[in-house]
Amino acid sequence: MNNGLNFRQLEETKAQILLSRAAWKSSITVCGGTGCHAQGGTKIVQAFREEIKNQVLDGSVELRTTGCHGFCEQGPIVVIHPEGIFYSRLKAEDVPEVVTETIVNNRIVERLLYTVPKKKQRIISEKDVPFYQKQKRVVFAHNGLIDPTDIRDYIALDGYQALVKTLQAMTPEDVIAEIKASGLRGRGGAGFPTGRKWESCRSAVSDTKYIICNADEGDPGAFMDRSLLEGNPHSVIEGMIIGGYAMGASAGYIYVRLEYPIAVKNVKIALQQAKEYRLLGESVLGSDFSFDIHVFQGAGAFVSGEETSLMASIEGRRAFPRPRPPFPTQAGLWGKPTSINNVETWANVPHIIARGADWYSSIGTQTSKGTKIFSLVGKINNTGLVEVPMGTTLREIIYDIGGGIKGRRKFKAVQTGGPSGGCIPEDMLDLPIDYETLAKAGSIMGSGGMIVMDTDTCMVDLARYFLNFTQEESCGKCIPCRIGTTQMVEILTRITEGKGEEGDIERLESLAKTIKTHALCGLGQTAPNPVLTTLRYFRHEYEAHINKKSCPAAVCRALVEYRVVPDRCTGCQRCVAACPTGAITGPRAKAHNLDPTKCIKCRACYQVCRRDAIAGDAIKIVPRREVTDARDA
Amino acid sequence: MREMPESVAINVDGKLLTVERGVSILQVAQKNNIYIPTLCAHKDLTSFGGCRMCIVEVDGMRGFPTACTTPVENGMVIRTDTPQIKTERIEILRLLLSEHPSSCLICDEKDECRQYMGTIRKAGVTTGCRYCPKDGQCELQQVVEASGLNEINYPIRYRNLPVEKDDPFYDRDYNLCILCGRCVRICKEIRGANIIVFKERGRHTLIGPAYDRSHLDAGCEFCGECVSVCPTGALSEKANKWKGLFDREQNSTCAYCGIGCQMRLLIKEDEIIGSLPAEDPVVSNGQLCVKGRFCVTELVNNHRRLKKPYKAENGNKLEIFWGEAIELAAEKLSACSPELFGMLVSPNCCNEDLYVAQKFARVAMASNNVDTSARLFYGPGFNDYLNLMRMSVPLSDIRKASTIFCIGLDTRFGRSVVGVELRKAINRGAKLITVHPRHHNLAIIAEKWIQPVPGTEANLFKALASLTEKDRRGKLPPPSEGETGNFFEELSEVAGMAKEASHPVILVGSRYLSCNDSPQILESIAKLARNINAGVLPLPAHNNLFGSILMGAYPEILPGGFSAGNRNKRDELKTLWGTEVPNFSPVWTADTLLSGFRTKVLYLIGEVPSRNPPPSDFVIFQNIYPPDSMFEADIVLPSTAFTETDGTFINGEGRIQRIRKAVHPRGEALPDWEIICRIAQKMGKSGFDFSSVFEIHEEISRLVNGFSDFDNPERKAGRLACEAELLSPQTRFSGDINVDTEFPLLLVTSIVEHTYLGFPLSAWVEGLRPLFAEGIVDINPEDAERGKIMEGDEVVVTSPHFEKVLRARIMKAQPQGILDATVDQGESLVPNPTPVRIRKKDV
Repeated sequence: MNNGLNFRQLEETKAQILLSRAAWKSSITVCGGTGCHAQGGTKIVQAFREEIKNQVLDGSVELRTTGCHGFCEQGPIVVIHPEGIFYSRLKAEDVPEVVTETIVNNRIVERLLYTVPKKKQRIISEKDVPFYQKQKRVVFAHNGLIDPTDIRDYIALDGYQALVKTLQAMTPEDVIAEIKASGLRGRGGAGFPTGRKWESCRSAVSDTKYIICNADEGDPGAFMDRSLLEGNPHSVIEGMIIGGYAMGASAGYIYVRLEYPIAVKNVKIALQQAKEYRLLGESVLGSDFSFDIHVFQGAGAFVSGEETSLMASIEGRRAFPRPRPPFPTQAGLWGKPTSINNVETWANVPHIIARGADWYSSIGTQTSKGTKIFSLVGKINNTGLVEVPMGTTLREIIYDIGGGIKGRRKFKAVQTGGPSGGCIPEDMLDLPIDYETLAKAGSIMGSGGMIVMDTDTCMVDLARYFLNFTQEESCGKCIPCRIGTTQMVEILTRITEGKGEEGDIERLESLAKTIKTHALCGLGQTAPNPVLTTLRYFRHEYEAHINKKSCPAAVCRALVEYRVVPDRCTGCQRCVAACPTGAITGPRAKAHNLDPTKCIKCRACYQVCRRDAIAGDAIKIVPRREVTDARDA
Repeated sequence: MREMPESVAINVDGKLLTVERGVSILQVAQKNNIYIPTLCAHKDLTSFGGCRMCIVEVDGMRGFPTACTTPVENGMVIRTDTPQIKTERIEILRLLLSEHPSSCLICDEKDECRQYMGTIRKAGVTTGCRYCPKDGQCELQQVVEASGLNEINYPIRYRNLPVEKDDPFYDRDYNLCILCGRCVRICKEIRGANIIVFKERGRHTLIGPAYDRSHLDAGCEFCGECVSVCPTGALSEKANKWKGLFDREQNSTCAYCGIGCQMRLLIKEDEIIGSLPAEDPVVSNGQLCVKGRFCVTELVNNHRRLKKPYKAENGNKLEIFWGEAIELAAEKLSACSPELFGMLVSPNCCNEDLYVAQKFARVAMASNNVDTSARLFYGPGFNDYLNLMRMSVPLSDIRKASTIFCIGLDTRFGRSVVGVELRKAINRGAKLITVHPRHHNLAIIAEKWIQPVPGTEANLFKALASLTEKDRRGKLPPPSEGETGNFFEELSEVAGMAKEASHPVILVGSRYLSCNDSPQILESIAKLARNINAGVLPLPAHNNLFGSILMGAYPEILPGGFSAGNRNKRDELKTLWGTEVPNFSPVWTADTLLSGFRTKVLYLIGEVPSRNPPPSDFVIFQNIYPPDSMFEADIVLPSTAFTETDGTFINGEGRIQRIRKAVHPRGEALPDWEIICRIAQKMGKSGFDFSSVFEIHEEISRLVNGFSDFDNPERKAGRLACEAELLSPQTRFSGDINVDTEFPLLLVTSIVEHTYLGFPLSAWVEGLRPLFAEGIVDINPEDAERGKIMEGDEVVVTSPHFEKVLRARIMKAQPQGILDATVDQGESLVPNPTPVRIRKKDV
């Protein structure tokens, strides 16, 4: 099995693997994604290993650490097959009970089942979990089933069959034609038709070409690529080998951001195993196509996700973008034709080849085909990774899959596309998601970050947050971005501090226009988007900050004051305990007292009080009165 | 056959143009006199695209592409100057100026202020153009004025970055930096040194050496290219910071070493205010080293420059008129017999001065006693060095070489122009092998660095020459004639590389010229060169060493490089000069002088033989600076520097190059040749009635080949044609150089090489002192600790033959057990290397 295979042998290998697993009675999959890992995942795995040994179940029970299951809100997640019993929020102490009850005695441990909030309904089977029901998991389908550090799991699920089909039955032109026909568009954000990019690279004249997988995923709140690389690296690798064949590239690079150690580790293991199986290296699967993939780590900059600065980084230079022309497909890495595609784009390729462009283009909308993975985060009940067909509406994602807004507040807006994108308000929630509709609404698809905000979010503060991010991450090369974003951040900061002036909105709009028109690269060109969309849909908030010095969402510290509503306060003292400065005092069962001179407006008391269904809003955040105070700055 | 570049037809502002395919829109505009403002673009550098000034409109391209990064395509329609482009440019400039001191750019009073407020410039903090050293020369200023911007409606932020003044030669005020990146690119792309980079990001982006090192620590060569390309006042040369724009330029040749780089002297109101590289594909390729770039202005303008002749009587200095000075000198010289006359003339002088000087000795004084201080510098190896000059090849041969040997060469400061060529060669794939006792700037780019223990070099080179002999068969027997250190295997490897090299070259620096064994070392180098068919590039420290030999400024050599005993030549000269050429022996040289032989009259022209009073009854000191820090001369005559006279030098490649008079002489100074001629004429001697340098040049052309065109010499490279053999000086030392318990350390001395007219350059240029430290001894930290010696302490260095006091400099790179010191040429009467002991001097 390990001496390098040819096509026929791959098929035989798969059969052998399946056969060897027929003896298993149960299969325990523990989510090994970064989120669950951080919540004690490794301890859970350890606990299962020990318990299986103690109960002498080796041989009939299989334990597998898999990739990210996607329902990160409920982690650590364990799914028991073949029934698909879904246990969530597991702790290591629960493991012996799970093994005894569920594995040995076929009984469910009720308290570990997932409960749909507000419905008090316990779900047993993974497929019945509402979060998953409305998703169409194509790219992410196998994340929860395979151990990313064992290539056999991937092969057992028809892994590398697309590559076999490619090498046996298709010419490079056939592959490119199939990708074009599928309508696949770049999943990294810009949505450029992938087939056209591949074709452009193929037609460039050079004996050396490269392909690159952009895994620099820098948008705050986005972790789709991370989970794909951690959880199913072979799907990306297979896509890259197929792409290398199609374009005539001799080598590929996976550029992973520095902050993804598990992804790097798992990708390297996967590459090593792929080499052993002769899926990489000289003469792939015995064909006359040779290909190699190298891993390259970033160094902590957001800008290095931009394709030309990414290439500069690989070349050992400072990650400065450069103007185009020439485009990377004409002259890219070390001057050679290069095709750079996103992780998710590569992961789509094996599916398209295996099941055909017709199948793929039947999913999605007229202009945007296939599925898209979104990282659904923010003020939402079900945070996690969501894969849906293009054309699904925002409402479906947020309410049917996401479970609606968490807590007692209402939906305000959803930010798509991270710091390069824009916010979409409630009256546009029925927008079907695709590249064009989002752009028309003023936002972008982006890499798939979807941040849900409730009425406790100040849109001006949000814009400031995003612009501050892009300002700090600006590479510093061009004047419009480097200095323009500094000016915009300065204006926004002033506005949130209650120092907004007449004309600030016009200044922001003018700066935004200058930066968008003249910035050298995508970072600068899209940096003003959060400001522009929040102005478009929430202009009144800006006006309130500037003209009335008030923050309608009661967020901006300089503009609000915290107060106790005496007739709502039950004197439960929870806020007293939560306050870090001792600003709230008061005896039990009596209305508390809040000293504004000590209050640092950290929201701790507000959040603690809100949770109480009885008291409900005993703490109010109100616009700040004109107080002549020693603190006034 | 070169293919013709494909041309394309484009439309620029309505004009149809046919241009070369692939050039940028900016290049097309500049060639066709269409104005497009730029700040980060530069004709010699790759395009950057950061300043966004050169934006244009191109049909079919969205937005405003930058002209510097957009290549032309057939059928392109381009507009460079629409109202919208103007507006956009102003908007971008507003952003830039919100972080760059801009008060004077938008002030209503700016035109009047410029006339009247000259004195507010040196306020210390640059908050506007009037306070800036670059006022009137600043590219940003020009772009803003051309744009029509008249107000900035953004809040202005002074970044309050430190102004860096601790490094020599140029200041850096990063508050003025617009991050155009030109300095970074020129240091990387043209010089290859890569010292400065972009640091940080976002609004904190800065330029400077990585890790906040000083430029000195980061390896900066102080070539000044970054200063030359900076469009604003961020980088400003200290010596001419407030001088303003120059009035005119004069092309000339640098006088500070044997490479002879071409430079442009910048002149304002009859004063040199700066020197910049001249474009020159023949020798220096538009580059200079720190000496040529930064050490001309201060040296020629120092207030101690001699302006009037003076005589010294009873310890008093009396300024006198030229008439009296010439008469006094003529009187003393007439009364001096040929044997008791001595003349030392500098190998920094131009050919015409040197020719007249040796003619004076031979014709006016009927004496053969003329020599140069090169004799002291090269010591016993002088003849062998001449042999290398007879094998020399042009610098451009570096470009053909696959393997380059550098022997005793450090190109960080002096000769950095050669260093640029070496880095380029390595980028092309050439291999560099360097031999040097200490860490030096070539060590980091060399394929191999051989670091011989001082004292073993002769054997090392002998072995290397031996190993590369063509008929060598079989294994070399282990070294029997002394140690070659641990380098035996290494040498075999190097010998192998040498034999396989195609077009190898050997560059010879100054490091090994002062040792005892320099004759053997240089001889072995010549052998090695012959064995492997290598071109030799001796890189003489003196700018006109070659010329001094061809002019015959040595007792053994007649003009034309002929031997003093050459019968035919003597007859020819007799016919030309009208007198018998004096006898060859007994020979008087600079060594004779230093060994104590007392002359009646000693005529020093641009020479300072030692810091002690030279043994002579009457010393005539002709120079641009006075000697009185060291000794008192009887009569001091002010002469001209190379910027104040016309003439020719011959560089180490044999090229005759012009120096051109850029400014008038200081005070009453006169060119050397003119002073000598006046004295000769006063003495009643004929053959000295030259009325111009041109006439001297003409007479030389009758004796030496290649001296035909004075105005524009051909500058053809050629080997030294000198049949004369120099006499070996008396060996200064013979004996043991092994360390023992009494003298446990080894002292290596180098003769100071960065001199001009007898004085170290650092005497007059303060910025050089951290670069070329003198009067110091480099000590390894462990050796220092053993002697409880701290940085800057005075230490007494004692050898079996001398005792010397030097200041300690503790250097980690200094090899243990070895001390390094630089001494003046007159002090080099010591064995080298020599065993010594050191102790801290008692206070």
